[in-house]
Amino acid sequence: MADVSLRGIRKSYGSVEVVHGVDLDIKSGEFVVFVGPSGCGKSTLLRMIAGLEPISGGDISIGGVLVNDVPSPKRGIAMVFQSYALYPHMTVYDNMAFGLKLAKTPRAEVDQRVRAAARILQIEDYLERMPKALSGGQRQRVAIGRAIVRDPKVFLFDEPLSNLDASLRAQTRIEIAKLHDTLDATMIYVTHDQVEAMTLADRIVVLNAGRIEQVGSPLELYSNPVNIFVAGFIASQRMNFTAVEQHAGGLRLPGGKLLSIAHGQLSKARTLGVRPEHLHLATPETAHFSGTLSVIEQFGEYALAYVELPGGEMITVKLDGAPDLKLHDTIHIGLPDHGVHLFDETGRALR
Amino acid sequence: METNPTHSRLTAIALTFMAIIWVSPFSWLFLNAFNTASTGQLEIPRSVGLDNFAMAISGNAGRQFLNSMLIAAGTATLSVVVGIAAAYPLSRLRIPGRNAFLWTLVLLRMLPSAGVLVPLYFAAQRGGLLNQLGVIIALTILNLPFTLLLLKNFFDTVPIELEEAAYVEGATLFQIVTRIVLPMSRAGIAVVWFFSFTGAWNEFLLPLIFARVQDAFPMSVGLYAAFGQQGAINYGFLTAYSIIYAAPAVGVYFLLRRNMNTGFAGVGVKG
Repeated sequence: MADVSLRGIRKSYGSVEVVHGVDLDIKSGEFVVFVGPSGCGKSTLLRMIAGLEPISGGDISIGGVLVNDVPSPKRGIAMVFQSYALYPHMTVYDNMAFGLKLAKTPRAEVDQRVRAAARILQIEDYLERMPKALSGGQRQRVAIGRAIVRDPKVFLFDEPLSNLDASLRAQTRIEIAKLHDTLDATMIYVTHDQVEAMTLADRIVVLNAGRIEQVGSPLELYSNPVNIFVAGFIASQRMNFTAVEQHAGGLRLPGGKLLSIAHGQLSKARTLGVRPEHLHLATPETAHFSGTLSVIEQFGEYALAYVELPGGEMITVKLDGAPDLKLHDTIHIGLPDHGVHLFDETGRALR
Repeated sequence: METNPTHSRLTAIALTFMAIIWVSPFSWLFLNAFNTASTGQLEIPRSVGLDNFAMAISGNAGRQFLNSMLIAAGTATLSVVVGIAAAYPLSRLRIPGRNAFLWTLVLLRMLPSAGVLVPLYFAAQRGGLLNQLGVIIALTILNLPFTLLLLKNFFDTVPIELEEAAYVEGATLFQIVTRIVLPMSRAGIAVVWFFSFTGAWNEFLLPLIFARVQDAFPMSVGLYAAFGQQGAINYGFLTAYSIIYAAPAVGVYFLLRRNMNTGFAGVGVKG
């Protein structure tokens, strides 16, 4: 277990800078998830912590020790790769024992540690098999087992679930959460899937174009996103955004209705954001938006209604149960009292 | 398809005819080799025995078999060792123009080796290499372009993540190559070794001019020299010698097939 600290980390390839000065403190035992769209630099950042990618500027410390010039094997980290990176010509046992054997660990200890890790991951029955005889989920466990065996200070996961199918992904996600609880180790996890980020993380780091947009617990990011990017990225149904302008003591909404709202910086508000689950159906008199229902997706426990406003904007509404709505009917939508987010012209949230 | 008896009989006769044409040289070879009193005619041997083979593996002939083995195995091994050492960096480092470089080498190899014989000969003479070591080195040099190209392509198929995983686990570059890259390229290395082996085994021109005494001839040259030796042609000896000469190629074929079947499985494990 160790804390990890990043100070002004930069990465450039030639004259192109892809990571522009990242500062981050990860506490010992914390589960931190880097999330962001592809190409945001999250994997590069992880590979720099792993020592697989040289850093162009800044300092990385693990457990209080500056590791800028410490080679990867001496950093006390273990990495789980997206493709699992199992050695195909070795048995599961040899895959897990590889690092320990290289370090000339006594045979008895290698055996004991491999079997202990196999027990945690319930892969004891596969130890003598070759990787190609395993399913995707089993390979994933072996890859994690190979990391556990080395008893690292920090676990690094590079999109470990992206090669699994949906149901296995959900199951493995729970197992990783349990594992973090059991091992109580510092874990850094990279994903582009915001569901994995929300469910696994103690803290989420949202990255975009090589910069940190926001760091916080999943619920902080959900309820108080600092800008439009984070607001749009976090949560399974994307937040609705619509242009607004100040009018008297409130905001004029698309369609001409007024929203009376008390806010200190109302004059700066340019965009209103509201999550689909916070919208509700209303009567024509109380509605803030009215439009035609262009698509409805029924999930049984809830439904997503896509409403087209007269101006052409689309608003998504999440409704509980199975609402009896007809396509192309006019739908009236009301805004909640709380849960409305306002953003200025640069996209920053107004608090 | 309907079977017409006349039609199928005609086909059978035609096929038999073709088969005889194809098989007769081989039957001639085998019948003469096992005939202790061979005359060079295609006939059923009156006395069958292994005398010809005994002759073909004793004395000079046996010596030539060993020479061939030495040259072929030496060339194959040296080609593979040098090839691995050069192909791995070519596969992993971003050397500008590395592909152009490789293909230029291959172009050079396309030139017939007879074209470079004279400079090669003088170079070997100056270097005191007009012997089997010289043949091995010369053949290795001529082999390298293809060896490099093949091995580089095999190394390219080993995912870089495997090497990164091994590196994170504390493996040195040497350990990464010997424990991960080479075992995973086993099939490719075997192919290169066997091809170099047969190539060197069949090579005639270079050993002929490099090794000018009968003791140093490999079998390819020995076979040529055996024609008209001691006035008359000993067909029994020649045929037995030919069979022994051809045997390794057949053996290599079967070894290669086995390797190609088992070698590639499991490269690049994904979910």
